[in-house]
Amino acid sequence: MARDPHLSDPQLLMELEGELSRRAATKIGRHLAACGKCRARRRALEAMIADWTRLQRTAVALPSGDGPRALLRARIGRLGPPPAGPARGALAHGKLTLAACALIVLAAAMVKHSSPRPVWAAAVPDARLTPGATLRATRESVCAQPNTKNRAVPVALRRKVFESYGLRDASPRDFEVDYLITPALGGADDIHNLWPQPYRSTVWNAEVKDALEDRLRDLVCGGALDLSEAQREIAADWIAAYKKYFHTDRPLEPR
Amino acid sequence: MADVFQAGVLTLTGGAARPACSAVEDEVVALFDEYREPLLRYLTTFGVCAADAEELLQDVFLALFLHLRGGKSRANLRGWLFRVAHNLALKRRQRDRGGAVAGLPAPAQTPDPAPNPEDQLLHGQLQKRLAAAYRALPERDRRCLWLRAEGLNYREIAAVLEISLGAVALSLARSLARLERCAER
Ligand SMILES: [Zn+2]
Repeated sequence: MARDPHLSDPQLLMELEGELSRRAATKIGRHLAACGKCRARRRALEAMIADWTRLQRTAVALPSGDGPRALLRARIGRLGPPPAGPARGALAHGKLTLAACALIVLAAAMVKHSSPRPVWAAAVPDARLTPGATLRATRESVCAQPNTKNRAVPVALRRKVFESYGLRDASPRDFEVDYLITPALGGADDIHNLWPQPYRSTVWNAEVKDALEDRLRDLVCGGALDLSEAQREIAADWIAAYKKYFHTDRPLEPR
Repeated sequence: MADVFQAGVLTLTGGAARPACSAVEDEVVALFDEYREPLLRYLTTFGVCAADAEELLQDVFLALFLHLRGGKSRANLRGWLFRVAHNLALKRRQRDRGGAVAGLPAPAQTPDPAPNPEDQLLHGQLQKRLAAAYRALPERDRRCLWLRAEGLNYREIAAVLEISLGAVALSLARSLARLERCAER
């Protein structure tokens, strides 16, 4: 203080902000009243903030908020009623819209230990481990995204999926970790939505499932099918869904 | 998007529509209209692309809806919004680590509506120098400055960044001095 009689920039900023203690404000106010140099410095700081603010406001071009606003309203509208008790917060940590229990039971029945297993048993996941999980996607949000190929599943997550299926020692070359509900239909990157699909299941394989996903997505985005319905069908039994939507008992030849 | 789940971001549970909450809904939408742009701009400084920022924002405002519907504090909702957005963006970035580096997004791309071409040119050069100086700042200083320019007061900034009031002033002083030097050159 004794060395530099003038006010520091942080002091001036705190003064501008009105955040000085009353004692400091009095002292600094007195200095400012008497010192043109510090007043000029304070003006320069204000001007610099104003310049930067102007630049920042024009730095990012933003699209109209109409769509996002409508989406927000729709999502608020779809929130359930407030929870009855104070303990069960509506802000559900990690809660997924799991495919309905009935469907889990139904799908579990298909992979039950009824030997011999059908050829395609491994081509559909174990519903207890992989019931399917979705993000809170809407038709609009799903269809606004490009229909990209599924991204690679992170290695750590892939390992967890293998472990949950008891495939600790299996060669990753024999299996591909695939999404049950594809992200292009609002499926989540979650262990409940991933399963090891054997490469050797040549009939009902990933390529066939891709075709189904494309078909369902077209229907959803065309307004012919509810997104939630598409998610349910694919989670319950994607092979049955394929047969239904392609009117066939076996996979069609790839075009 | 997997970690939207793991990060504990709320997801909808597909319940029935509920008109009784329309007052809170209107309040949330009004706040959305007021703060969408500043929040989007802030989110882009985390290297989040525009579509993802818009998506994060939906989560922020759904959380706000639940916050207000739950009868929680209405004090300083602006600070609350930025804080929640900040934390969600950090989580997102942790997940996408190795992605884009946070910075001022393309400052020269949007032409400034200056009154005449000369002004525009001069302004453009100043913009470039300031943007370069900004990008050279340490991350916390960048955030501090950014939030100040979005109109947050020091207390709000301190809460968002979890630093003291004095640290906000020090950071801003540092940044402004740097910008100033670069602007003069
Ligand atoms: Zn002075």
